[in-house]
Amino acid sequence: MRKHRMPEMKEGGVNVTPLIDIVMCLIIFFMLVAKIGVTTGADSTIQPPETILGTKIEDIGNALTLNVRGGPRLEEPIVTALTEKGEHEPREIKIVEQRGTVQDRPLERVLTAFQRNNANAKVIILGEKDLQYHLLEQVLISCANAKITNVNFQTKPAGSGSVVAQK
Amino acid sequence: MKIKGAKQVHYDSGPNMTPLVDVVMVILIFLMMAGSFTQGGWFLQSTVPIKAKGGSKVDVPPGTIPDEPLEVRIDNAADGFRVLAGDIRATGDKEQLKGALAEKLKAYGAAGTPPEKVQVVLMPGRNVKYENIVAVYEAALRAGFTKVGFATSH
Repeated sequence: MRKHRMPEMKEGGVNVTPLIDIVMCLIIFFMLVAKIGVTTGADSTIQPPETILGTKIEDIGNALTLNVRGGPRLEEPIVTALTEKGEHEPREIKIVEQRGTVQDRPLERVLTAFQRNNANAKVIILGEKDLQYHLLEQVLISCANAKITNVNFQTKPAGSGSVVAQK
Repeated sequence: MKIKGAKQVHYDSGPNMTPLVDVVMVILIFLMMAGSFTQGGWFLQSTVPIKAKGGSKVDVPPGTIPDEPLEVRIDNAADGFRVLAGDIRATGDKEQLKGALAEKLKAYGAAGTPPEKVQVVLMPGRNVKYENIVAVYEAALRAGFTKVGFATSH
């Protein structure tokens, strides 16, 4: 019986198959790990205090990040957060707003609505390390009035040298 | 004169992969540039809401024994914080404060109060810096206290 041999293949260029294998693996890795267009609203310019102790919160879906800034002459903190879905930039939320004779509390209103819509609502406070307590206190009181008991203080791991703010 | 052209050797051994490689490389570069690899973040957690000084505003369900409060007064000092909590006096040194609070917790245990029944109430002054508050908060957690909350400023 006559045997048929496979025709000899001659290389016409560089073999790109291993390259494609590796690149495909990298693409799948990046697609799984990378978060594109997801933001918690954390302000990366805020320098939080450093701590040794800390826990990681992986589930940030039910968390609202409040960026709290202050100044030596301010009587009210500057609070910014992403309150609406689809927002890309955090907007300022006042603690107290005077509307004619009526005193409105926008932050408390936002937090109450957030608490009502999320069974496991939690608030992350990202504050400047120089923030004074009388400013932070107003945010904490708003959280308490909105019946949010799970309040987390974002810090950065001691010696990390970089802000852990999520973007 | 007859000019001989170079011998063209062409082997088709499969589909042309070049456009695929181009596109895949573009996707790879896009994902590497646009993606962000978020860490989980680093947080000090609290499930205790702020309360007004004196504790009159805190709702205690009927039939429950209120927690033993440990009031920790915090002020700014030249080298960080100054803490006053019962017989504890600490200034600036986190490790010393942690050790003193751990001793306090042991004393509570010896007196029959479990750690989860002790409520640490941080009472910072009006102008106390957030980093000092966090330092004391962390020291209390590291000492083994589980319930750490805030009171309004003094």
